[in-house]
Order: sequence, then structure tokens, then C-alpha cells
Amino acid sequence: MESKLIVSSSPHIRSNQTVKSIMRDVVIALVPATLYSVYIFRVNALITILLAIITAVATEAVIQKIRKKPITISDWSAVITGLLLAFNLPASVPWWIPVIGAIFAIAIVKHAFGGLGQNFMNPALAARAFLVASWPVEMTSWITPGVDAVSAATPLTLWGDKMQPSIMDAFLGNVSGCIGETSALLLIIGGIYLLYRGVIKITIPAMYIGTFAVLTFAFSGFDFVFTFYSLVSGGLMLGAIYMATDYVSSPVNTKGQLIFAFGCGLITFVIRTYGGMAEGVSFSILLMNVATPIIERYTTPKIFGGAK
Amino acid sequence: MSKTKLQIFTNGLYKENATFYQLLGMCPTLAVTTSAINGLGMGLATTAVLVLANMAISLLRNFIPNKIRIPSFIVVIATFVTIIGMVMEGYLPALYSALGLFIPLIVVNCIILGRAEAFAYSNNVIDSFLDGLGMGLGFALSLTILGSVREILGAGSIFGFSLFGASFKPVLMMILPPGAFLALGILMAINNNYKSRKA
Amino acid sequence: MKEIITLGLKLLLISLIAALALGYANDATKDKIFEQREMANKEARIAVMPDADGFEGIDLDQNGITDDIILEGYTAIKSGSQIGYVFKVAPKGYGGAVEVIVGISNDGKLTGVRIGNMNETPGLGAKSKEVEFYGQYEGMSTDNEIGVSKSASSDTEIKAISGATITSKAVTKGVNHAIDAFKGLSK
Repeated sequence: MESKLIVSSSPHIRSNQTVKSIMRDVVIALVPATLYSVYIFRVNALITILLAIITAVATEAVIQKIRKKPITISDWSAVITGLLLAFNLPASVPWWIPVIGAIFAIAIVKHAFGGLGQNFMNPALAARAFLVASWPVEMTSWITPGVDAVSAATPLTLWGDKMQPSIMDAFLGNVSGCIGETSALLLIIGGIYLLYRGVIKITIPAMYIGTFAVLTFAFSGFDFVFTFYSLVSGGLMLGAIYMATDYVSSPVNTKGQLIFAFGCGLITFVIRTYGGMAEGVSFSILLMNVATPIIERYTTPKIFGGAK
Repeated sequence: MSKTKLQIFTNGLYKENATFYQLLGMCPTLAVTTSAINGLGMGLATTAVLVLANMAISLLRNFIPNKIRIPSFIVVIATFVTIIGMVMEGYLPALYSALGLFIPLIVVNCIILGRAEAFAYSNNVIDSFLDGLGMGLGFALSLTILGSVREILGAGSIFGFSLFGASFKPVLMMILPPGAFLALGILMAINNNYKSRKA
Repeated sequence: MKEIITLGLKLLLISLIAALALGYANDATKDKIFEQREMANKEARIAVMPDADGFEGIDLDQNGITDDIILEGYTAIKSGSQIGYVFKVAPKGYGGAVEVIVGISNDGKLTGVRIGNMNETPGLGAKSKEVEFYGQYEGMSTDNEIGVSKSASSDTEIKAISGATITSKAVTKGVNHAIDAFKGLSK
């Protein structure tokens, strides 16, 4: 394709961004959190991450070969899906979990619906939902950070039992949880990098986290500590910054994005507070992904709009 | 272009298979196929109703006025479903409790009303019998296939026989509703692919 | 006008024949159906109280049992004398009511627990139907309320199903209510 000349009509906007450069930026943003997770969860995390990424890339290559399409694994999008999937898994999962999850994410959620740019749901999150529904026991067994891999509960479940770790631990990430979600600090740093590079806009993360914070604050009896705690625990930072901002499965314009992010915040809050699960982020983002078409329908600006 | 008796029968088995081509009767298809035996049981129960209803409606086709044919069909179908339900509760209690409230729902299975309207109302009894049998068995076949896939992946067994031993961790979602949609979708994709290659 | 009457009469005739057929079928099968239901009930009762050779229903209201999750109560008889009680309880689980059948002997021991109709999640709450779960209750004493924990560290606790705390707690609640009813009856 690259050797042909492409004819198109104006406007011709030039930008330095390519799919590859955007994806590469996301990987760079996630590097701190990745290194940290390997540091605290050791070999288990490394194996899970590698398996997820390798399987994702391999699956994409195989599928594109079978369908006789050009192989696009060098655009790093499969790498991101694999990495984000691994981030959503507990470190001690059996090897076949990231493998099956990655195959599901790439083959079914991404390619069965049209490939890059056509997925109607975030592939990594949809795969996670599939894994949680299919192997609930394996997907809810976490280990403590550090050398002794003893089974432990995450801060959110512990909060229910009033035995939570310190706030600083929760913020820095020295707690139990899924591979990529523990260190709020490093995830935020990655997010700032992405903002600086123009890969994401502040709209969705701010609205999502903001809505969730306000609701939690109000309904917890204005408990500031609990609110902060809820913000840095679980997959909220990971979800709000890296998963909800997926271009394809979220609305295109700002108004739509605000509605989308508000919905995410609201549903996460409801699931965490009133639902039977400790974690509501993945399901809330998936639900809003599915609602995106209708949000876009109602927020698309008219082409020949009248004067305002 | 009238079909031979054999063609009428085989029509329902594959060419116009209720599940994969007509996409009728989706509700019991998705809900009941949590295991191969449940799929087969529901398929055979539906076949029984379909055959009896087709024959009865065909016999009455000159008696039932056109304007009230739908209510008449429903009365006939509901009667047969109720009778078969009672027979199952009395003599096949295990299957009856496995299929549960989907037995009375056979009444609104679109296949039965569909065949009554599209075939039995305008054809003779023998043909209607064959059509009902073919459609019903085709439905039973697709339900059994779907049920087997879901049972193998979701419970590691087929017709109750454990296949893989204790270390197999079954894909729980396959015996839950989302798994039903996934399995059906993938089976249909495979079938469509096969069909388009043949053409 | 005449057409409507004709249509109405024809429909009436069809419905009439249908009703006759149904009535006949009902008559022909009702005994067998009754038998099946009775057998299912009896099987469950014998499973929780294997020593018994007969059961007599208890009128719950008359005996002061007004707990609405207790559906049925029976005295278990062996060779003419009463050896204990069987209760059918329906506590609310994860996906609706869970039928729990509890057998308690006169000396205050749980002789058995079985799970009947339930709508719990396959692979999780539905595992309550497996003997690894319900077998835990057998032999437990009714002196104390039974608790649920992840590890069952004491004699008065049972181990919850991994990933199905709600179902485990529901079944235990049903058992405890049955124990209360037993205590009320044997005073």
C-alpha cells in the first residue's frame, strides 16, 4: 500500500501522529506501572504480561494471515491490548488465563467485528469480563506484594472488613490487586505523559474520576479519607485513564465524551456501593461502550448548523 | 415447483433449518441448551407438538376460516403443548424439571406457528406431517449440537459423561446466557462460511 | 353480521373440542403427576433422615411456627415412634429462593441437609448441591447457631463455597431457621 499514490480530496491535514506512534506512546506511558508491577509481584506478573502480549500479537498475525489481509502487528495495537489485559489480571493466574483472554480479545472482540478501529467494546476489558464470568475463582485470587506470594484480598474487599492498608501504600501501589491497577501514582504519571503527547484529552478521565469522586464523597457522609481511598484502589485510575479513553469505543466529540464519562463514573459508583462486587470499573466502561452509538447519535453536531 | 415427499422432509433438516437459516425459536434455543440432553429433550418435545399441530391444522384447513386462523392455530397448539406437558410431568419427571417453564413456552415457539401458517394451512395431511417432522428434527439437531458445544466447553462433559477429568477448568460462561449467544453466533458463522464457499 | 356469528361459532367449536381433549388428558395423567410430586418430596425427606420409615406433616401455624421462610414441617417416624423432624426452608439466595431440606433428630443433631430447587449460578452457588458442601452440616449440633466462614475453624462453622458467599450464607440461614423451629417444637 505504501508504494501507491493516494488521491483524496481536501482538506489535507498533516500530523506527526500515526497509529504506530500513538500506540508507542501508550506503551511508554505504561512502562513505569509495568516495571513496578514486576517489582512487587515478581515472576508471576512478568510471565502473565509476556504471555498476554505474545499471544495477542500471535493471534492477530494468524487471523490476518487466514483472512488474507495485510499483517499489521507492527502497529503495536495488539501489544497494547495484551498489556492492558495483563494489567487487569491478578498476578497469580494460571498461564492459560492470559492466553485464552488474549485470543478472545483479539480474535473475537477486535477482528470478528472488523479489526482496528471497529471494535465496539474495549477488547482488553471485554476479554476480562469473559474471563471473570468463566473462571471466577481464578480471577479473584490475589497475592500480596513482595516475595511471599500468599493469597490476599485487595484493598476494596478489605475495606468491607475494616482492615485496610495505609493510604500511602494504596497510592503508591504497595497493596494487593490486579497487575497494573495497584499504583495510582505511576498510572497518573503515565496519564500526564499521554496528555502532554496529545494522545488523550483530559475530558474523559477528569469527568469519570470527578463524577465518581463527587458521588462517593456525598454518599459516604462526606468522608474525605474514604473518598481518596476509593479513588486510588481498584482499577479506577487504570480504567479512567487508559481504558475509557480508547478512541474507537468512546464517543467522538466532547459533549458525547462528557456524557460517556459521567455514565462510567455513575455506574462504577453504583456497582461498588450497592452491588455484590468490590470492583465496578470494567463493567461500567463496557456498559458505556455499548451505549456509545446512541450517545453519538444524540450529540452529533448538525452539518449545516444555524447561527448560535 | 412442488417438492417430493422426501424433499419436504429434508427441507427442515438443513436447507431451511429453523435455527441456522430461519432464526426461529431463538428463546428456547438459547435458554435450554445448557447441556446436550436438555437440547435434545426440548427439540423432541417441540417436534412432537409440531407434528401433531401440523397434522391437526392440515385436517382442519377447510374448516378454519381465514379470518380467525391465528387464534385457531394458537388454541390447537396450546392444547397439544399442555397435553404433552402433562404427559412429561407424569412419565418423564427428570426432563420435565430440567426444561422447566420452557415447556409451556413451546406454544409461542415461532417455528410451530410459522409452519402452521406457511405450510399446514395450505397442504395435505401427509405433507404437513413430513414438514413438521423435518422441521422439528432439524430443530432438535441444532439444539443438540449447540447444547453439546456448550456442555463440552462449559462443564467438560457430554450427555453427562465427563470427558476431561478433574483438572479441566470448564469455561463457566458457556453454560450461562452470554455463552449461549457466543456459541450460537460462532456456529452460525462457521455454517455461513461453509455455505458461501460451496456457492 | 352473519359472518361474525359463523366465525364465533367455529372458534367456539374448536375451543370446545380442545377443552374436552385437555380435560380427558388431565384426568388420565393427574394421578401419575401427583405420584411423581410425592415421590420427589419423599426422596428428599428420606435423604436427610435415612433412619425414618415414614413422615407426618405438621400444621405449622397450629404449632406456633410463623417463620415465613419455613415452607413445610414433618415429624419423622421410625417403627411407630417419632425420631425427629424434617423441615423444608426457602431462604433467599443469590438468584431467588433456595429450597433447603433439613433433618434434625430428637437429640438435637442435624441428620442431613439437602438442596432442592434453586436458581443459583452454575459453578458457584449451584455447587451447594454437591455433597462436599451440604455434607458439612451432617452431624452438627443444634445447640448453637451455625456460622459460615472461609475456613470453618470451629465446630459450629461450615466452610463457604469459594466465590459463592451469598449462597453459602443463605443455606446456613435456612438451616438455622429450621433449628429454631425445632427448638420451638421440642420445648
